[in-house]
Amino acid sequence: MTVQVETKSMTVRMLEDLQRALQKPMEERHWAMVIDLRKCVGCNACTVACKAENNTPPGVAYHVVIEEEIGKYPNVARRFLPRPCMQCEHPPCVKVCPVNATYRRPDGIVVIDYDVCIGCRYCLTACPYGARSFDFGEFYTAGHTPEVAAYDTSPSFEYGRLHQRQPGRLNESPIGNARKCTFCIHRLEKGMLPACITTCLGGARVFGDLNDPKSLVVQLAASPRVVRLKEELGTEPSVYYLL
Amino acid sequence: MKSLSRKNFLKSAAFLGGTMMFSEVIMPTLSRFQGAQAYSSLAQNDYPFDSPEHIIYSVCLQCHTSCAIKGKIWNGVLVKIEGNPYCPLNLLPHIPYNTPPEQAVLVDAKLCPKGIAGVQSQYDPYRIRKVLKRAGKRGENKWQVIPFDQAIDEIVNGGDLFGEGPVPGLKDLYAVRDPELMKTLAADAKAVVKGEITLEEFKAKHAAHLDKLIDPDMPDLGPRNNQFVFQAGRIQPGRADFSKRWLNNAFGSINWYEHTTICEQSHHIAYREMTNAYVDGKWSGGKTHMKPDLTNAEFVIFFGTGAFEANFGPTPLSEMVTRGLETGRLQFAVVDPRFSKTAAKARWWVPIKPGTDAALALGMIRWILDNQRYDAAYLSNANKAAANANGETTWSGAAWLVKLNDAGQPTTFLRAKEIGLSEEDRFVVSKDGQLLVVDPNDDKNPVYGDLLVEGEANGIRYKSALQLLYDLAKERSIEEWAGECGVEPELIVTLAREFTSHGKRASAELYRGAVQHTNGYYNAQAIITLNVLIGNGDWAGGLAVGGGHWDNNGGKEGQPFPLASLHPNKVSPFGIPVTREKVKYEDSLYFKRDGYPAKRPWYPLTNNVYQEIIPAAAAGYPYPIKALFIHKGTPTFATPAGNPAIEALRDPKVIPLVIGCDIVVGESTMFCDYLFPDTSIWERWGFPHVTPAIQSKTSGVRQPMVDPIVEKVKVFGEEMPISMEAVMLAIAERLGLPGYGKDGFGPGLDFTRPEDYYLKMVANLAFGDKPDGADAVPEADDMEMAVFRKARSHLPPAVFDEARWKKAIGNDESLWRRMVYVLNRGGRFESYEGGYKGEKLAHTFKGLFTIYVENVAKVKHSLTGKPFSGLPIYDAVRLADGTPVQDSEYEFHLITYKEIIGGQSRTVGNYWTQNSIMQENYVLMNRADLARLGLRDGDMVKLVSLTNPEGVWDLGNGQKIPVSGKVKGLEGIRPGTVAVSWHYGHWAYGAGDIIVNGQRIAGDPRRSAGLCPNTVMRIDQSLGNVCLTDPIGGSASFYDTRVKVVRV
Repeated sequence: MTVQVETKSMTVRMLEDLQRALQKPMEERHWAMVIDLRKCVGCNACTVACKAENNTPPGVAYHVVIEEEIGKYPNVARRFLPRPCMQCEHPPCVKVCPVNATYRRPDGIVVIDYDVCIGCRYCLTACPYGARSFDFGEFYTAGHTPEVAAYDTSPSFEYGRLHQRQPGRLNESPIGNARKCTFCIHRLEKGMLPACITTCLGGARVFGDLNDPKSLVVQLAASPRVVRLKEELGTEPSVYYLL
Repeated sequence: MKSLSRKNFLKSAAFLGGTMMFSEVIMPTLSRFQGAQAYSSLAQNDYPFDSPEHIIYSVCLQCHTSCAIKGKIWNGVLVKIEGNPYCPLNLLPHIPYNTPPEQAVLVDAKLCPKGIAGVQSQYDPYRIRKVLKRAGKRGENKWQVIPFDQAIDEIVNGGDLFGEGPVPGLKDLYAVRDPELMKTLAADAKAVVKGEITLEEFKAKHAAHLDKLIDPDMPDLGPRNNQFVFQAGRIQPGRADFSKRWLNNAFGSINWYEHTTICEQSHHIAYREMTNAYVDGKWSGGKTHMKPDLTNAEFVIFFGTGAFEANFGPTPLSEMVTRGLETGRLQFAVVDPRFSKTAAKARWWVPIKPGTDAALALGMIRWILDNQRYDAAYLSNANKAAANANGETTWSGAAWLVKLNDAGQPTTFLRAKEIGLSEEDRFVVSKDGQLLVVDPNDDKNPVYGDLLVEGEANGIRYKSALQLLYDLAKERSIEEWAGECGVEPELIVTLAREFTSHGKRASAELYRGAVQHTNGYYNAQAIITLNVLIGNGDWAGGLAVGGGHWDNNGGKEGQPFPLASLHPNKVSPFGIPVTREKVKYEDSLYFKRDGYPAKRPWYPLTNNVYQEIIPAAAAGYPYPIKALFIHKGTPTFATPAGNPAIEALRDPKVIPLVIGCDIVVGESTMFCDYLFPDTSIWERWGFPHVTPAIQSKTSGVRQPMVDPIVEKVKVFGEEMPISMEAVMLAIAERLGLPGYGKDGFGPGLDFTRPEDYYLKMVANLAFGDKPDGADAVPEADDMEMAVFRKARSHLPPAVFDEARWKKAIGNDESLWRRMVYVLNRGGRFESYEGGYKGEKLAHTFKGLFTIYVENVAKVKHSLTGKPFSGLPIYDAVRLADGTPVQDSEYEFHLITYKEIIGGQSRTVGNYWTQNSIMQENYVLMNRADLARLGLRDGDMVKLVSLTNPEGVWDLGNGQKIPVSGKVKGLEGIRPGTVAVSWHYGHWAYGAGDIIVNGQRIAGDPRRSAGLCPNTVMRIDQSLGNVCLTDPIGGSASFYDTRVKVVRV
């Protein structure tokens, strides 16, 4: 029996899906993610890729992998649950914002306008998934080490803008703002996949347009194994899990 | 919305030209600008990394997997590291090699969290920029910044460098300088050992040169050059070749080492010994590393390793496994006392008693043989011709006959000439009662042998190798084997049945956990034997040698730069390595003087016995050393039982001169007299070879991505960053070492900067492995040349200078363009489909597996004088003198492991991982043990052992670092075992204060979190100053120590 040779990586397949979606107006796209927990190896590459991509400081995590052990020796299991922002269709965080700084875009991504956000942190409490953080102006090196490392002040490109946090400049966004996962809009709109997707070691994460029936994300979201977190709240997450 | 700038327009226009090809080759519908520009939702988008001019591809070294990486560079700063999509380690399958860079740029490939966090090692605020000379006692961490040239002068010339008395310089150790003299001394020393000439004759002949020898009464120790030792930790092809040329073949010392025995050396030695070919009366040429083909495997047993945490390594292996799980193709078992992340996905977790892997394997072997579940047709193939006739590319010595001594013990293979069957040196099998001659390498005349035979011929008793294995396995029942390894007998049977239920698509994989024991070699041999029993070598889904790599050293005919021979006046060092490796004790003058037992072990079957270097120097056996060069490694911290090594390094009388190069002042480099800053892995060159788990031929090229942050200096009149290479070139310049400077490679080919060497390697890769150049990569076109230059516009001439680089390869424009093609992709990578061929792998071993290892059975233990076993015996944990180790009053068995975020000593500055994800590590134990000891999660505990009853790192200056941390209860660990991850517990490497030029540089307390357990690991009392060690494979024992867990 001759072996089957793989011809296309999931990444390239998803890039094709992404490209098709980008040819439609934003209103016709619905960005979504499917995470196959059977393929998640708990490596946290997603978490760290997100930190690096968005240059999130200490205390700000757009993404985490929640881990738990269940069972009794020797019948033990370890479960890994990656948790990005759910990009809800009915996002509780949006409703509580007193200044309308946070809103859901037509393509499903819940964003924060740093220029409007007053840093009240109501949204942090409102999010049932704990997906939002507040930027207190911490740095990895500034205040801890003999010098400030380049990565502490190098830019993130969130929302397509050059955000360079600087020690001591606590009034400059995103310091003093609520912060959250953007599905890497800045990458999407340059035809690239979100950072957590491309680095997923187990190939557990799939991203695409839920409105495109040909996309991988739609095929997987139709799986009988699919669940969403806290469905009972009616938030309608755009992040799906396969058990 | 930003208007379409001219630059962007040009980019779009240029891109259109390439769209067609791109579409056809990889991404049928992908064309980036249309969509993005038509319906962009953002008012502006400054994200720059969709353009190849901000990208340089290179190779990671946060761990040894050597994944290819894609550096995203903004204003000269490395801001993000991704996986390189051209490389098979990072994408399954990877993109075609001919994809143009401006199209590949859209594809970020996979990379593990350690690799991504490399940005934080690159810009670690504790990186050293300038040369440090100690301003206090050794290890006091008081330093003075001095000019590079002053440091080189002092190291070369010696003198009273520290006000502590005279220190020999390297010029004093550079004793034998003439290659001819070296050769003559080597030959005559050998003749003395062999008794062909007397010592007196030797002395008379070489009277003028006796002062150049370490000991004129023991000329086989070699010249005093050998008293300069290079001890590298993590070093790879490229730097390894560069430094060997310098130390071995220019300076003339034999003592070049890397760290392999503190990693997994016994596993390599077992593979090599079991795959050696028999040619001209010698066993040689074995493969040191084989891996399962996880892309096609149906069943795999991971012994002491896994796919998702360490090993070789999570980035390539994870998806191979998860795809197998998704489709139902793959099931696997994990043999590990700890419930690893890999175990979390396994069908079977086997929480074995540490170090008893051979017992488990022998239990399986017993069941497989009892039930005839082995591949009898495969094993009967006694030579190459038989294998080929049966559609196999590998064969085995299972049917070969082994002689028994009077005690019935196996000795060596029966030779046909011993029973009058042949004049030649041939082996023998028994077939249907007839004894047949076997030439293992004969590809014309098939010979088949019966598998389970014994008998007598010419008064010589014999058994087949498989019969010997069966007899060994039958020494215990399956229940008894199960009792030894602490595994249920039913589970052993299940594993054996499953293992033999998938034809060739099963394999037994092993790594560190099974072999870092005193019985590590035998454990490995037992596990590898399982593979031989099903004959899985070279089969898709079976055991693979991997795709290999192109020859960067130019060793293939026709390659442009054969580096080994481009070395005028090259010397060949000789003598006994300070670790007494690669040489039999019996072949030394020490043996003639001392007999058995040797004062310290000799390691004829292995090399790079890292843990023994400093202890041997301290013991002065086989001789003291005068100068030590520590490179990217930490022999006190990363080695089990490091306290004696700390004590030795602290004392300048033990090793008078210690120099190092490191990127941060580490736990070992703090003991240097002179410490040079090094370039980081993101700033320098390298040519790593990759794991056999990868079936496509792969040659990654590590190249400078950013301007090194270290000081730049002049060597041979050229400006370069201080680095290992700069130090070696500067010393070569001062000493006039052969093979450096003007015409260093030969007439017209100077060697005055690192690129003179490394670019020749790139040229060799670009040219390929075929003599006629048919294997060369294409030339980069003008557009690619432009991308190449733009991507390096932030690099100063000391790092990138196109004209100078071209000069290094002889100004060959065509070759240069091919090299650019390679550098624009971060290396050379064969297509994914190139790795497979029908039911087989495309890159194959095509050789012999032996299950009885004569080459090992012929060697005697240098202390006991008893021969090693040719069979994979289940052996006790022993001291060097053979005494079994018990320590039963210490109730816990200590093991270590690595979280995926951690890599030994050098990832502690990666705050994204070792602080944000996990602030510290823990003493992990089973909840039942926790409750029994009355401990609760988070209680502080200390580990103590028989040889470290205080449970401390003893820095010798009154400072003691307790081996203590928080305890944490788990269900996923074998009761009676404690596990500690190995990448926390620092006191140096930015964790503690140091004084430079009288000023205190405060350490970061976050970096001292957690504990490093290595120093409580057991000292071998029969030697006094080194850890337990496998006498065959040389592996340092990390997992044979019993400890008490004490509340503090």
